[in-house]
Amino acid sequence: MILDPILDLFRGKAVTIPPMDGTLRPNNLLEEADVRLAVEAPDNLAATAGKVVFSSGGQVLELGKRKNAKPRIIAAFDSAVSALAVSEAGLLAVGLDAGSIEILGPGKARRHIDGFGCPVAITFAGEHDVFVCDGSRQHRPANWAMDLMEKNALGSVWHLSLSSGERKCLAQGLAFPFGIVMDPGAGRLIVSEAWRHRLVAIPAGGGEPLPVLTQLPGYPARLSPRRDGYLLSLFAPRNRLIEFILSEDDYRADMMREIDPRYWIAPSLSSSRSFLEPLQCGGVRTMGIHKPWSPSRSCGLVVELDAELQPVASYHSRANGTRHGVTSAILHEASILAASRGGDAILSLRPSSEVARP
Amino acid sequence: MSPIIEMQKVTKAYRGVPAIRDIDFVLERQEIHALVGENGAGKSTLTKVMAGVVEATSGRMLYRGREVAYASPFEALSDGIAMVFQETSLVPSMTVAQNIYLGSEKFLNRLRGVNVAAQQFLQSLNFTVSPTAPVASLGAAKRQMVEIARAVHHKAEVIIFDEPTAALTPEEKRYFFALMKRLKASGVSVVFISHTLEEALSEADRITILRDGEKVAEGKASDFTRDEVVHAMVGRTLSGEIYKTRRSLAQIRKPGAKVLSVQDISMGNAVRNNSFSIFKGQITGIFGLVGSGRTETFKIITGIYKRDFLRGGDIKLDGRPVRYNVPAEAVKDRVIYVTEDRKSEGFFETMSIAENFYSGLLAAGLERSHIIDFAEMRELAADWSKRLNVKAINENARVIELSGGNQQKVVIGKGLIQKPRLVIFDEPTRGVDVGAIAEIHQFINKLADDGLAVVVISSYLPEVMNLSDRILVFRQGRVVEEIPPVEATQEKIMYAAVH
Repeated sequence: MILDPILDLFRGKAVTIPPMDGTLRPNNLLEEADVRLAVEAPDNLAATAGKVVFSSGGQVLELGKRKNAKPRIIAAFDSAVSALAVSEAGLLAVGLDAGSIEILGPGKARRHIDGFGCPVAITFAGEHDVFVCDGSRQHRPANWAMDLMEKNALGSVWHLSLSSGERKCLAQGLAFPFGIVMDPGAGRLIVSEAWRHRLVAIPAGGGEPLPVLTQLPGYPARLSPRRDGYLLSLFAPRNRLIEFILSEDDYRADMMREIDPRYWIAPSLSSSRSFLEPLQCGGVRTMGIHKPWSPSRSCGLVVELDAELQPVASYHSRANGTRHGVTSAILHEASILAASRGGDAILSLRPSSEVARP
Repeated sequence: MSPIIEMQKVTKAYRGVPAIRDIDFVLERQEIHALVGENGAGKSTLTKVMAGVVEATSGRMLYRGREVAYASPFEALSDGIAMVFQETSLVPSMTVAQNIYLGSEKFLNRLRGVNVAAQQFLQSLNFTVSPTAPVASLGAAKRQMVEIARAVHHKAEVIIFDEPTAALTPEEKRYFFALMKRLKASGVSVVFISHTLEEALSEADRITILRDGEKVAEGKASDFTRDEVVHAMVGRTLSGEIYKTRRSLAQIRKPGAKVLSVQDISMGNAVRNNSFSIFKGQITGIFGLVGSGRTETFKIITGIYKRDFLRGGDIKLDGRPVRYNVPAEAVKDRVIYVTEDRKSEGFFETMSIAENFYSGLLAAGLERSHIIDFAEMRELAADWSKRLNVKAINENARVIELSGGNQQKVVIGKGLIQKPRLVIFDEPTRGVDVGAIAEIHQFINKLADDGLAVVVISSYLPEVMNLSDRILVFRQGRVVEEIPPVEATQEKIMYAAVH
């Protein structure tokens, strides 16, 4: 109705969140998954030629072949590693919290690229082209919660040519682009825009982002290819309390000014480690019991997408679980590996195509 | 002792086309007799002849051994034969008590006295209906109760029920059958038409089966099996076709894009913070008991009802927020709701099949020209009658003259003509015979196979389990459980709906 926009001023805006149903119907598959490696805060996973590498703190490590085998340190940095990618030939691109990208070649070859504020996702296209998600112009990767609370949309996607050294901005004004994957058939990049809870497609040569999957019930993180589709990890769920806080500017400004960021009412990578944390519904134990059906500030969620970017299966760790804050998932040798940053573990899952389940 | 009703070689023809042919029918005293058959088999016509609603073209009817030919239902009622119709014939603006006493009022009436008498009478039947409530405010089940109470009140010796249990909940059905047995014990003979074969087999003493206007079988209910009844009704065994218990993983369609996202919608106490999604290329089955807010939720979505003015939630169609103020806006967005109450909301009963189909086209603004194009109307009617297998003399037949199943097909066709992207079927097979159920199910499946988002609201568990690619269970105004069909059992769904 033509008067609806005016009436909405009186009606008040409802704070609503898309439900987790259909293929996103909660289960415990992530919670019950095998632990491939218990390691502190694993973040970005990448694989090439039968080798899996991952980042943890300021290190890049190689995952052992066997379960719980000690990982081999490939590289160590002074700053925390915020993004990681590996090319087919084994070239490693490492984004650092300090704002630079390091390209590590075979042997000791190393190249330093400056000028990024917040490199949070990287992908290779061949050996000479790299695409980078710069999450925010304002904040470093570790301060992502601040970027959300400021409701920034200062992210951008870049193309770096390793052969010519040129760089080109493909898209900007993105609300924390946190994952990137190439869709080679369509000549486009699929990018997850965390604060807008959606995936967008950006032409590989640059152009307007086109939403391809919207209304996600969580904050999308990194993307990776799988057979006939993609894997998407969501690092935290949306909940009505946080959506409400995001609509209350004065309250948010006071909270950010006066309260330690660890205790903000904001999405989180893990829960229930301190009684000082803000009330987070299901994340709080009552008489020693979590309520898994209640909303929480953190969860674990990995989603399989088909080639049309529609969810076809999902793996959850719910409010009463511990495998939360999954920031990266990849397909490796018929298994899905998921990095639970909040749960300090790399998990191994059987893909839905091999499991007879709804 | 002679039977209470005996019909000999009764034929009734409409415009020369016989609806029933040479039927012999016997109703014994103190007997519960079930009449079963596909839609269009002639069950309603046969009972209408008994109750004086229509006159037989030929044949004889004996009541207590005396030949009768009723010219009106009033004559039949005066003689002791009452009929409770499928679509209730109550006066909506009058109270329950006034409806019960309608036609048997004294010269001077005291409203309080009528109310008190009605209250006592309803209590004696174990019906929880307020005698002072206007009938318009009652739901389908309670209207049915009032209709039954009215028939019982007229002290009829023969009561004919046309689809009495279609609108009743399982608990209400138990009350109804207990009442039927009490009526029988008090000397009343009962004829009831039912499409639920389990009811006919378990509650009736004898069964008569009609097919294409002829009697094909008759006998003691205990002598029949379910498959035998179905076979006699349709001439083939449909039982397995319709009531497959559970779908395998391979049969379940994968979801397409999210077409509809309902987020925290509320409407008073009927719908409370309800959230769910509907996906393209899938049938989403909705189950819930009467009063669980299923119909209300989808009526809000399609603009028939209004959600709460303040913070009533969000509805997103293909990611775009929508708030339909009238159903026409939903139709323009190609969202179609196929009603559960076909007679009052589904079609124009005095108009022809062709005109009804064409009205669907007009509502969506898809007609070829701004003036009524009769050629287009005829083409449309021929095309959709063929697609949906509407059985009628021709497309100019009035919808009211069709059987329940064919009426339902017209209602479905009228919606589908509007080229929907989301179709919501509310009780699509209520009051529809077994043969038409199979056809409607096939058609609904085809819609999902063609990539449409389909919602089927049903109170009949086997139907929900058989059709759905995902099952949502409603209770107290919201979705309380989503059950994948491979995990679904009747007990599991009912448990979610009740607890």
